Amino acid sequence: MSRGYARKTLLAVSVCALMSWIGCNNPRGPEGAGRSEVVELTYWPAPNPQEVQLADTLVRRWNRTHPTIQVRMQSIPVSQSTEEVLLAAIAGKTTPDVCSNIWPGALHEYTRAGGLIPLDQFTDFDSIALARTPRDLLEPFRSEDGHYYQIPWKTNPVMMFYNLRMFEEVGVAKAPRTYSEFFAAAKKLTRDLDGDGQIDVWAGERDIRPIWWQRLFDFYPFYIAASGGKTLFKSGEPDFNDDAARIVFQFFQECYQQNYFPHTYFQGGDPFLLEKKATHFSGPWEVATLHSLAPHIRYDVAPLPVPDDYAGPVYTSGDYKNIGVFGTTKHPREAWEFVKYLLQAEHDLLLLLTTNQIPVRGDLLTNPLFAEYFRQNSKMVRFAEQAVSTRGVDAAPDLKEILDAISQEYEACAVYGKKTPTEAVNDAFRRTKVIVEWNK
Amino acid sequence: MKSFWLFNLPRHRYAKTGYWFVLPYVVFFGGFVAYPLIFSFILLFHRWNIVTPMEWIGLKNFERLLNDPLFFKAILNTLKFLLIHIPLQMIIALGIAVLLNSKLKFRGFFRAVFFLPVVVSGVVVTILWQQLYAFDSGLLNRMLTAVGFGRVPWLIDPDMAMLSIALMATWKNVGIYIILFLVGLQDVPRELYESASIDGATRARQFFRITLPMLRPTFVVVVVLSTIGGFSLFVEPYVLTGGGPMESTLSAVLYIYNQAFYFNHMGYAATLGFVFALIILGVVLLQRKVIETEPTT
Repeated sequence: MSRGYARKTLLAVSVCALMSWIGCNNPRGPEGAGRSEVVELTYWPAPNPQEVQLADTLVRRWNRTHPTIQVRMQSIPVSQSTEEVLLAAIAGKTTPDVCSNIWPGALHEYTRAGGLIPLDQFTDFDSIALARTPRDLLEPFRSEDGHYYQIPWKTNPVMMFYNLRMFEEVGVAKAPRTYSEFFAAAKKLTRDLDGDGQIDVWAGERDIRPIWWQRLFDFYPFYIAASGGKTLFKSGEPDFNDDAARIVFQFFQECYQQNYFPHTYFQGGDPFLLEKKATHFSGPWEVATLHSLAPHIRYDVAPLPVPDDYAGPVYTSGDYKNIGVFGTTKHPREAWEFVKYLLQAEHDLLLLLTTNQIPVRGDLLTNPLFAEYFRQNSKMVRFAEQAVSTRGVDAAPDLKEILDAISQEYEACAVYGKKTPTEAVNDAFRRTKVIVEWNK
Repeated sequence: MKSFWLFNLPRHRYAKTGYWFVLPYVVFFGGFVAYPLIFSFILLFHRWNIVTPMEWIGLKNFERLLNDPLFFKAILNTLKFLLIHIPLQMIIALGIAVLLNSKLKFRGFFRAVFFLPVVVSGVVVTILWQQLYAFDSGLLNRMLTAVGFGRVPWLIDPDMAMLSIALMATWKNVGIYIILFLVGLQDVPRELYESASIDGATRARQFFRITLPMLRPTFVVVVVLSTIGGFSLFVEPYVLTGGGPMESTLSAVLYIYNQAFYFNHMGYAATLGFVFALIILGVVLLQRKVIETEPTT
């Protein structure tokens, strides 16, 4: 009897416990009413601390005002590169709904793997994109199939930083605008200070190692500047076997041949911060670096030098990072709403304030919302002015290897002087064509 | 039933037990030899970047290879390395082996010292040589400038870099060949030298007429091992120069590695590896033909 009673009691307690657990976890319970209608999105920003902080602020604000679309922010898992992580995520179908660190150079890989959805499927895409970004800046981000799989978000135009003290010491009053002016200034700036026969300060310096991404700070922006805004590809085909490429190779060859640039790789730190070189080609992040690591350096920022006979606005390259919505999303419309939220003017101001990176907008210098920021950060005005004449990279397959091939030709021609500019450009072009053909 | 004497098991049971004994090797062979080989063969006709699905592209990898100047440059660089490295290694190894074979004080100590670089990790040795070869602050250039010479661009001159790598590789590997030559030298019968001495042969004549011919089998082993080692040149240029300057130290294996793991072109890298293996096969067959046609005594 007692054993049967115990069994019944145990059964009753178990059933009660199970029912209470189900009751507590039922999303349709009185407290959880409507919970099943809450859409959850995942958002991956870049993993650097400033952008994580920005994303955290934006997501908190969004979640407060959008109870039915809740966003979970998670920075891109740390790896060698964002591109590797995103490709692996596409393969594993573990991509987020939205990512704001899409490098246009890798877009071809993502779309080939079916990773991104076209954003122009949303009826308000044009109005949203064009209200923020001028058409000529937006157009290069259109894919070969005519669709937009990305919307430009921020950029970092590459410009010329120059040391005012060093320029004043040798009597150069203003930043060189053309190649001839640069060489004339470089001749004065490159000096042996202690009379030991060795050069102590140089007009400029570039990393002489043939590393593909280094070309994004010398050959590539100079090519865009010399060609009046052209990039390496046109309608999916390589298109840089031209005078602009040859004249840029010639420019850097002259810099090395005349010893305006050293033939060595600096290991003791950034030579611009150490005041061992007078000019430096870099982006707006350098402003914060100089402010924190070398506040004593007086400097200014100017557009890149261009060929002597060049007329028109000076273009450059910018390290664009764009926003995309991944094909794994179950809520594309809600994801698009969140993208639109990220692109709002007040959030662009927050982007400037938190990261010192330039939003891809046409009204940065005319919209009163940004006036106070630029008043307080006068150096950033130069980058805002340049942003409208900035080009990204082509969404070409194997861009990394193409830039690697250009790097090797740059090394042979500019650094070692073993090839003429014409030979180097021809060889780089030929190798690029082989890579492109292989990818078809 | 007649039982087998070793394990006191029936014959067919013993035969089955045999399969269990060979199973570990079969698993190893299947996992680490057969599977990669078959998979590499499949990759020859595909484009694959590891993360996205494979794409059939027929013979496009071979087509690209034929138009790839860098691959041919890498092959030439590897052959250049072999041409410097093999003779250098043989001369130095033989010279030291002859010295160590003579009556020498602390002979055991010297034998150990010369073998030491062989057992040290290749990466560690290469990093040490990087410090020695550094243009501005390297020990070698400091010594040269201290005695009034100019600095040598060991690793930054395209014409010099492969020679520097060959010197370093020789220093690293010479110990193993010294041992091989020592074994060969100790196999030469003493009475040959005794009778040559009685006949009035000088030491040099004895070396060229007795020692060298008697060492022919050792030379064969050294040439084959050096060739195989030389073709697999990777760590030295990877750590020292990254293949530069101007791809002058880009070895074939380094280029294959770059294509596979830097650009994620698995199919193309497999094709390069396949063609490279054919080239090695050709060279080894040629070597065998040349060596085997010559008399061994």
